Amino acid sequence: MSPEKRGWKDIPLAGVCWVPSTEYLTGDWKTFKPVRDLDKCTRCLLCAIYCPDGAIKWNPEKEDLEFNYDFCKGCGICANECPVKAIEMAVE
Amino acid sequence: MGNIVEIRWHGRGGQGAWTASELLARAAISEGKYIQSFPEFGPERMGAPIRAFTRISEEPINLHCTVYNPHVVVVLDPTLIKTVPIADGVRPNGAIVVNTKEGPAELRQKLGQVNAKIWTVPATEIALNIIGRPITNTAMLGATMRAVGLVNLQSIEAAVKERFPPQIADKNIAVVKKAYEEARCE
Repeated sequence: MSPEKRGWKDIPLAGVCWVPSTEYLTGDWKTFKPVRDLDKCTRCLLCAIYCPDGAIKWNPEKEDLEFNYDFCKGCGICANECPVKAIEMAVE
Repeated sequence: MGNIVEIRWHGRGGQGAWTASELLARAAISEGKYIQSFPEFGPERMGAPIRAFTRISEEPINLHCTVYNPHVVVVLDPTLIKTVPIADGVRPNGAIVVNTKEGPAELRQKLGQVNAKIWTVPATEIALNIIGRPITNTAMLGATMRAVGLVNLQSIEAAVKERFPPQIADKNIAVVKKAYEEARCE
């Protein structure tokens, strides 16, 4: 959460988080990040389906996949599931 | 109660801050000292920032509150520096031991005004090289031993042996020793 300290009067009812999860970047602590081999990748989108953080998206303009490293936690599920082994986990 | 040493561990869920606290406590027990070791969790999930505390004393400890002014702060994850106030309440002339690739001088600039000795060690790198996973607790334990002593390295080794199965214990002992050697201060 944000480093500022809040008193109990300033905390929202029921302790609801005041920073939406789109602003609170949950992927800033990963040790490994997925790197894709563009030649091997068949754009099958299995990785996007398996990604637990929804950090892999199809970009229609580029007609290609994109990793969102702000939210990727570096779990490596995409690399494990990739049928053509096009994703490699590299030390960040 | 003047001779209680208090340690605060900052880690992320899954990195073993709580285990590090316990290993240190067990090592201290084996040397006949009195200890307390307790964790403080926020959201209980992998990657959430957590804290753990250790108290070590030659005499029985009658204090049962949280640790507000630690002598030693240990940071298991470099990315915590920007999200968690790690230097909060550190005692003057205390020590801050941080897992980072940077040197102590660079880290001091980031932390701002801190009246404590700063130690750094590339714990993630050491853990990845020896264990193969980014679990930094035993590395930070080794670096902390170098920074402040507190217990013998042999007692830590014995505690690690007791806690983990033989193969993992051996690797972790290697990590402790390597981090002990590689810890740097200003």
